[in-house]
Amino acid sequence: MSQQVEVRLFGAFRQYSRDAAIAVTLPESATVTNLREAFADALEDDNARALLKASAFATDEAVLDEDDSVPEHGRISILPPVCGG
Amino acid sequence: MSTHVKTTDQPLSAEAALEFCSAPGHGAADLFIGRVRDLNQGREVEGVSYDLHSVLCERVFAEICAEAREEWGEPLHIWLEHRHGRLGVGEASVIAAVSSPHRDESFRACRYLIEQMKHRAPIWKQEHYVDGDSEWVQGHALCQHG
Repeated sequence: MSQQVEVRLFGAFRQYSRDAAIAVTLPESATVTNLREAFADALEDDNARALLKASAFATDEAVLDEDDSVPEHGRISILPPVCGG
Repeated sequence: MSTHVKTTDQPLSAEAALEFCSAPGHGAADLFIGRVRDLNQGREVEGVSYDLHSVLCERVFAEICAEAREEWGEPLHIWLEHRHGRLGVGEASVIAAVSSPHRDESFRACRYLIEQMKHRAPIWKQEHYVDGDSEWVQGHALCQHG
């Protein structure tokens, strides 16, 4: 079984896709590490892959750790380094 | 005690923040306004576009406010708002305000809000320069992986 996960794009990631999200396919019970690898494969730009290394995945509730499971339901976002204010 | 957090695409109001951060027993109120400036690292800026994850951002704002209350006291009134969308030079991007019985708590808590917000809240800014170029500003990484 595999699952389709839509990753919402924010900040500098927005320049790498016409859409506000990139969809990736993951195995069932995937971790954030699996998600990071699949997302990197989906990116076509070396600068985007470099940005990914400094970026975090998050749900609407919290930033995820690399060992966390990817929620089967719920929205996932990729958060590049932040700079509010 | 009272806390207000919000993200909005509408202009921010310092008057509303100060009205919220007010109580008969509060002898101090501290207000911070972050504004778009016209120069950054030698480049002339004509505007900034703010992008944010509104749901997570308001959660992080609430966490930061709770931490400030834990550190500097239950009576605090706390206000934290951040704007998104394109702003021109001089427009307010963020307003933090705190009131308390005495000034020390207000000063310290207000500074805490703004510093933590800059390091933890999912907000991004793209500067638009007078020469027509635009760039996303470098920030603080939220991830801790190797």
